[in-house]
Amino acid sequence: MKTGAVRHGFEDVRPLQAVPQLWKLRPRSRLVRFTLAALALLVVYAWCAGDIGFDEMFTARRAQNFERFVGTEIQPFELRAEPFSLMRHVEWAWDLGVARGFEGALATLAMSILAMTLAASAASLLLLFAARNVATRDPFQSLETAGARGLSWRLVTATTRAVLIFLRAIPEYIWAYVFLALFGPSAWPAILALALHNAGILGKLGAETVENLEPRSLSALRQLGATRAKIVVAGLFPLSLSRYLLYVFYRFETCVREATVLGMLGIVSLGYWIQESRSRQFYDQMVFFVLLGAVIVFAADLFSTFVRARLRRA
Amino acid sequence: MKSSAELPLLARPAWIGPRGTAILLLTAASIAAWFLLDLTPRALIPHAGGIEVAKRFFAGALQPAFEYESEVPPGTRPILVTVLEYARRTVVFATAGMSLALVLGIVLGFFASSAWWRGEHIGGASRTGRFLARTIWPFVWLCTRGLITFMRSVHELLWAVLFLAAFGLNTFGAVIAIAIPYAGTLAKIFSEMIDEAPRDSGLALRQIGSSPITVFAFGLLPRALPDMCAYAFYRFECAIRSSAVLGFFGFPTLGYGLAQAFENLHYHEVWTYLYALMALVIVVELWSGAVRARFVA
Repeated sequence: MKTGAVRHGFEDVRPLQAVPQLWKLRPRSRLVRFTLAALALLVVYAWCAGDIGFDEMFTARRAQNFERFVGTEIQPFELRAEPFSLMRHVEWAWDLGVARGFEGALATLAMSILAMTLAASAASLLLLFAARNVATRDPFQSLETAGARGLSWRLVTATTRAVLIFLRAIPEYIWAYVFLALFGPSAWPAILALALHNAGILGKLGAETVENLEPRSLSALRQLGATRAKIVVAGLFPLSLSRYLLYVFYRFETCVREATVLGMLGIVSLGYWIQESRSRQFYDQMVFFVLLGAVIVFAADLFSTFVRARLRRA
Repeated sequence: MKSSAELPLLARPAWIGPRGTAILLLTAASIAAWFLLDLTPRALIPHAGGIEVAKRFFAGALQPAFEYESEVPPGTRPILVTVLEYARRTVVFATAGMSLALVLGIVLGFFASSAWWRGEHIGGASRTGRFLARTIWPFVWLCTRGLITFMRSVHELLWAVLFLAAFGLNTFGAVIAIAIPYAGTLAKIFSEMIDEAPRDSGLALRQIGSSPITVFAFGLLPRALPDMCAYAFYRFECAIRSSAVLGFFGFPTLGYGLAQAFENLHYHEVWTYLYALMALVIVVELWSGAVRARFVA
């Protein structure tokens, strides 16, 4: 071996052995291996436990149902007797849209916008108590991670985090179901349901963002004598706003998707008309409303992608 | 003394940046939405009946039921066993749906990503390779993008409703209803992760003449795999929530028991179901959080 060669772990490994050697040195985690094994077992169990009526799916009766559904039921009722004409179908869809669909779609968008604003505002306050580097006795005193945090502050973060996890563990649909019983039918149950669930998610993501902030400028503010509120308003919010808004618009997309469905509980959004035509077995109208829902979700998706691209460039 | 001309040249500050515009836009849209929906704060004050319901509902939170609230025929399973059974089925449907979605999502994600065929040196030297890379793969890419967008634009509950209408109530319908939109989402995110992963090893493979498939399998996929696993685990958590909600449409998951208890005004039982669902989701979230921390170092 030449003198002066860089010493490293592989010096006496010949090239052909290097790959197996590297393979042996690969990072391994017991938790990851256990998880993969457990999930594989779970998948096998799920398919074999007998809860999924796989055979029952492919019976003659179901085939008949399907044929009837696709063959006649989803075709516009008024046009079934006529020969197929694209113009008449478009006309039919437009009339249905003007009568109910477009208003429902607009209400769906309005609900998700309001819910997003509420969730974003609520979560921006909650995250201050969930972020471990802010909710501490001596925030941004040193550039290292927060030192001793004190029992009471740790209790504050633990409680806030528990509230956030509670908010997001319950699906929007169940929140809406509960609020509908409390407030009666208006748009509020849907808005509150969407807002609560998303506040739980945004609070968590926002707290993570704040915890990963570069503490230099916050520390500088502190050394200038800024109060807690000043640090938050002048340093913390501007620094984390970009990322937070990215999350908000990412959730907006999901929010529109959920808002469509919440109407099925009897709140006037697109879902209301889906449920209504479903209960009357007007499957032609139902399919139209489902497709209209897909269109607004797609539009919201495009909009959110556009806004996020603009924000990311800024 | 330094003249001001020597200061570094900065762009003039804008009045409102893109972020401010986004916030103003959101605020204006919210105000418009408020009037569009005819909202009043008064509607938020529950009516007298609502207050009564609210009281009894939140009282239930402190005392979830450990026994049925009404008389049940002898020989009925204890409520905790019933709840566990519903929880088990919730996991079963979520897992089955997710496993289907994962397979579909990987296949569709492969065709929806462009890093393995786009760029220089595509398709190696052979004529068929170049033809594939310049015409076929872009076409397939476009079609796949359209397909996955449609798959995830329709909510899983709406897929379930469509299947209910087309086939009638069938548990396999619940599995497919979860699998389709989740496959669309997984495919979208997977393809983005593959396209955004570091290209170094992919480019190296391409320069020594590897086929696009080799570039994908050995150059790109390994770089994106940890993120993909982490994301798939996160979606599993969502699948459990979706699976629970499918119960509201007659499938035997937690939502089914919850809706029944709610309709019978058994609020203590409602909370037993809610706590079971919460426990399930929180366990999976903590678990997936721990695994993600190992994966994405």
